[in-house]
Amino acid sequence: MRSNPLRESTPVRLVLIALALAILTLFLFAPLLVVFGEALSRGWEAYFDALSEPDTQSSIWLTLLVAMLTVPIDLVVGICTAWCVAKFEFRGKSLLTTLVDLPFSVSPVIAGLIYVLVFGLRGWLGPTLQEHHIHVIFALPGIVLATLFVTFPFIARELIPLMEEQGTEDEEAAVVLGANGWQLFRRVTLPNVKWGLLYGVLLCNARAMGEFGAVSVVSGHIRGRTTTMPLQVEILYNEYNFVAAFAVASVLAMLALVTLAVKSFFEWRYAKELSAEGRA
Amino acid sequence: MNQPMIDIRNVQKSFGGFQALNDVSLQIHEGELVALLGPSGSGKTSLLRILAGLEFPDSGRVMFDGGDTTHISARDRRVGFVFQHYALFRHMTVFDNVAFGLSVRRGSSKMSRAEISERVHHLLAMVQLAGLASRYPSQLSGGQRQRVALARALAIQPKVLLLDEPFGALDARVRKELRRWLRNLHDELKITGVFVTHDQEEALDVADRVVVMNHGRIEQAGTPTQIYDSPATPFVYQFLGNVNALVCRIRDGLAEIGSLTLPASAYSGVQDAAGTAFVRPHDLLLSRPGEGAGAMAEVRHVSILGPLVRIELLLDGQMVEAEISRQRHAELGLVAGQPILVWPRQARFFLRDSWQGTPFDNPDLPVDHDI
Repeated sequence: MRSNPLRESTPVRLVLIALALAILTLFLFAPLLVVFGEALSRGWEAYFDALSEPDTQSSIWLTLLVAMLTVPIDLVVGICTAWCVAKFEFRGKSLLTTLVDLPFSVSPVIAGLIYVLVFGLRGWLGPTLQEHHIHVIFALPGIVLATLFVTFPFIARELIPLMEEQGTEDEEAAVVLGANGWQLFRRVTLPNVKWGLLYGVLLCNARAMGEFGAVSVVSGHIRGRTTTMPLQVEILYNEYNFVAAFAVASVLAMLALVTLAVKSFFEWRYAKELSAEGRA
Repeated sequence: MNQPMIDIRNVQKSFGGFQALNDVSLQIHEGELVALLGPSGSGKTSLLRILAGLEFPDSGRVMFDGGDTTHISARDRRVGFVFQHYALFRHMTVFDNVAFGLSVRRGSSKMSRAEISERVHHLLAMVQLAGLASRYPSQLSGGQRQRVALARALAIQPKVLLLDEPFGALDARVRKELRRWLRNLHDELKITGVFVTHDQEEALDVADRVVVMNHGRIEQAGTPTQIYDSPATPFVYQFLGNVNALVCRIRDGLAEIGSLTLPASAYSGVQDAAGTAFVRPHDLLLSRPGEGAGAMAEVRHVSILGPLVRIELLLDGQMVEAEISRQRHAELGLVAGQPILVWPRQARFFLRDSWQGTPFDNPDLPVDHDI
């Protein structure tokens, strides 16, 4: 074997690989297997019965609906925020950056409580909303708002460093060549950050479907109406309905796996382009 | 050529507390290739960006073809701009990069695919990249990227081509090649060009006219010969080429550099003032004691630089550099420690606290030998 100054000896390599595998197995693969194992412990029939239960069905649809509503909003707002922060100098920029990070530093439960305090019956806007028969708390709008708050930073945070690193030279070149604002964005800025954007959207989506704390506070746990999948898992688990709880958990896990598969598919499909752009 | 292509009038620009441009006025005529030369922070890039419409002056005006363009955006100026690091669109092929400026056109100036393709291929052939249309920028060498950037800038048929440190990021050999090539291209297309550089050799070699900048001001503008042979200020002297800056005293029309006394008639009114004498190394004539005129100096070091020989001399306590030919060096047979006579064929004096300079051509010595 040729000696390579950066290559560790065989025993060291084996130990390191074994260690990494052990940790992954213990904390990642084993729990995943347990989820599916428990869900299927009474066979496929019990599994599908648990999933076809109406309250569970509605929790699945609610979760997908919340993700479908929040991710596009996060996408648009996240891109706008990142664009502002990365490409322009203005007063209050550092304040905006701090605000973007706020959801990361605030506990999701607090986030939920904030919305209860603002929109709840005894909150600032509660009486007004009540008069107009608009339900925010313990209803879909509250869940979407809480999820938005928690997921907002994912896309912006993914894009800001990338856009800052790329600077504004490409945009300047496009402007000098006569591009208008929309052409500039669609043909230069967006393609330059599309991979970061994809990762941001996937992360954001995963979090939107999996959020528990904030949603738990604003949802009111009305079965069949305002329970999302994570809440439904908790309810079922607390009722000792383990098969049903793990069945719902397995669906959540599969959604995550699908997300990963989508990401890998894009990486495989555009491998050539990625390497050409020097950003593998 | 009465109407200048570009007319910059009293432009001021500051960033925060930093004065990038201080009352800059400059006229550039059609077909000229102008170099903005200066150290970093001299304002040359700011001036170029103001011409492109990427920055706007705090005060003053910029006119293109007689029309006021001060507040017209970069989008509508139709200038070609080549960025220092090219700023090629990394996710587009070479073809799409060059086509960009044509494909974003809308309305009456919109071009068909066939027209765009024809123009792009013509440009790629001109920059000698015909076979690389489907490559991505990351698959090209630095020199090739530079030429793609140039083709992209030329695609919109700009009135003016602006280049920011066009050869800065390239290695020396490619740089020289591209320099010649840009010069030829300019002569062929007759386009008005302005480029920024900190490399004096590049400026003198390529440009029709060199504008030397320092601290946000224009120190001197002129042809390469004017700039090199009669620098207007001490800064220009020191920035362009090697020069000896010698401490001197100016008294009643005479300049004294140690034991050397030279006429400085422009300062005949000056009683007694501190000054600096600028002498290019190749303007110092050396001769053996007893064989010529001048002040006595001591040879300290001799180094052979290809066709030239550089001699370090100690002249009345000041280190001085002289450059002579190999042949002259052989005649003199110089070695360290040897006494030698030094006489400046040309010198220019500046009072310490004044920008005014006076040239002095030494009439007493024939200029036939040396160099």
